[in-house]
Amino acid sequence: MQGSELKNKAEQREKKYARRLLGPLTNYRRALAVLLAMAVFCPANPTALAGRLSKDRLGREVMLPDNPRRVVALAPSITEIIYALGLEKHLVGATLYSDYPARALGLPRVGSYVNLDLEKIVALKPDLCIAIKDGNPKAIIDRLEDLKIPVYAVDPRNLDSVMDTIVSLGRLFNARQRADLLVRGMSFRIQRVKQTLVDLEHRPGVFFQIGVAPIVSVGTNTFIHELIVLAGGENLAAGSVPYPRYNWEHLLALAPEIIIITSMTKAAVFEQVKAQWDQWPQIPAVRDQRVYIENSDLFDRPSPRLVDALEVLARLIHPERVGDGLK
Amino acid sequence: MMRVSLLKRLTVISALLALILALAVGLGISIGSTGNYLKEVLAALFKGQPADSVLATIIWQIRLPRVILAFLVGAALSLGGLVFQALLRNPLAEPYILGISGGSAIGAIGGIILGFSYFPGVGLLSFAGSIATLALLLFMSSGQTVLKKDSLLLSGVMVNAFCAAVIMFLVSLTRDSRLHNIIFWLMGDLSMADTKQVGLLALALVPCFLTVFWLSNRMNLLLLGQETAQSLGVNIKFTTLALLITTSFMVSGTVSFCGLIGFVGLVMPHLLRLFIGPDHRILVPACILGGGAYLVLCDLLARTLPGQGEMPAGVVTALIGAPLFIYLLKRSRK
Repeated sequence: MQGSELKNKAEQREKKYARRLLGPLTNYRRALAVLLAMAVFCPANPTALAGRLSKDRLGREVMLPDNPRRVVALAPSITEIIYALGLEKHLVGATLYSDYPARALGLPRVGSYVNLDLEKIVALKPDLCIAIKDGNPKAIIDRLEDLKIPVYAVDPRNLDSVMDTIVSLGRLFNARQRADLLVRGMSFRIQRVKQTLVDLEHRPGVFFQIGVAPIVSVGTNTFIHELIVLAGGENLAAGSVPYPRYNWEHLLALAPEIIIITSMTKAAVFEQVKAQWDQWPQIPAVRDQRVYIENSDLFDRPSPRLVDALEVLARLIHPERVGDGLK
Repeated sequence: MMRVSLLKRLTVISALLALILALAVGLGISIGSTGNYLKEVLAALFKGQPADSVLATIIWQIRLPRVILAFLVGAALSLGGLVFQALLRNPLAEPYILGISGGSAIGAIGGIILGFSYFPGVGLLSFAGSIATLALLLFMSSGQTVLKKDSLLLSGVMVNAFCAAVIMFLVSLTRDSRLHNIIFWLMGDLSMADTKQVGLLALALVPCFLTVFWLSNRMNLLLLGQETAQSLGVNIKFTTLALLITTSFMVSGTVSFCGLIGFVGLVMPHLLRLFIGPDHRILVPACILGGGAYLVLCDLLARTLPGQGEMPAGVVTALIGAPLFIYLLKRSRK
């Protein structure tokens, strides 16, 4: 039901914006180039107020600075979104593992997103911290508020909420047009995948493996599930458990047609995992040699690159439809 | 004559340990992940607030509450060790080893999962957990006038194993993001100290410290044996019960704040007994000051060791404490 809701919203956006787009935008950097061209024609929005109260995703009223100039992103996904918006000049700190884009590696680190280093955050003299609702511990957010550092919580969880987050951050930084353009680019690409995969006669069963030992997959309430469905597959691990564990008995019974493994570790581990799967030629995916490994950082955080992930999945699941058409 | 020399010894030893504690606190607030501010802290001591407001925030609002929390927790845990060692007449008794910390952790985690606030919900459940494990422990080793070393330790190990299993069970029942926090908290995390909470903990712990100090002479007499103590006018039941409840309260207070920090109650009492001797009237204040200083230094080590962010203080105390435990066990067998 989440998928259909998303579909409607995305379609509305698409109807609104598709005509205005001159051509397909294949990544947000290109979107930014278009935006810069547009910025010449659009005067800056002169609505800056003297501090503004805004409700964040934790339902807290946050007093935001007019023009945030020293921002600490408390999760890798937020760092990515700020870079995608081209607003990185306001970013003064990021968390460990904020490794995309590569330029973000140069930012000062403030601990990992669950184990934040309060002292380092304070030392950066931020005028705003951006947190994620279910990722950063609430205690940290409270501590920062005690120390008079405003914290704005966002909640990127899937494609739709990533786009919402982009819009909120665009408002926060007084950069609505950039945010709009980025969202339009994403919607366009999502729509293009949908059109390519319209009227599918078969949705292959996909087993998406995010953990090696134990074998872990993704349930219904995850963005990877959403991507699999949008990419024309059936998530075999769908269900209420977000990250269900599997054993080989289960997997033989599931008989996946496609197996996608994401791994943060190197190819050697993948060969081991693939060798494990190869013991079971009765599994259709193994028999048809449709066991794939994909770059995990594309799939492990809800960022604008989810659209890249979607296109990758669509190509893996429906090569007959997609071919090399999306990139 | 006796009184005077006792008072003198008490003053000298307390002053010495207070000095060590002051040094530890000074280091604790001077050194941290953003840099070492020894000069600035010294300047602030003599000239008031440092000019730089960010520096002031870091030193007074981030590092100081944490250092005070480490002091309170270290003091409470080493006092807990001292009391258990005296009451159970067992040099290896310690809240963590006996499983009492584990029991209060179960209570605290239950409280967190049920969504209670830290005070009073989580704190009370944690206290209930520690009392329940204590009762279980005493029941298992009941019938023995002197709790034998090995049977008591075995009971403790079993209680601990059981608690660990219950904790893992509870953790695997929750599927939300609080899970990350629980695991980090379990290893003894002092990083979340804020001034209000630390004040609250101090309010709860300081009366306990005083109670134990008040009962310290009776602890000496209890060590002479129950009959001797009774003949000297000690109300054994009351004393034992008061000490056990006070200690459980202290332990559950620290556990619900910062998780399981083991072996502090083993290291400090033994070290201090080595220098001071067995008189609890001196050992109790010494444990408060020394144990506090010890955990302040352990936490300093934990947050300045290079690594992927800081590590929980419980890792450092266990790295130091567990080998000492094995050494003491070996020695006590000879």
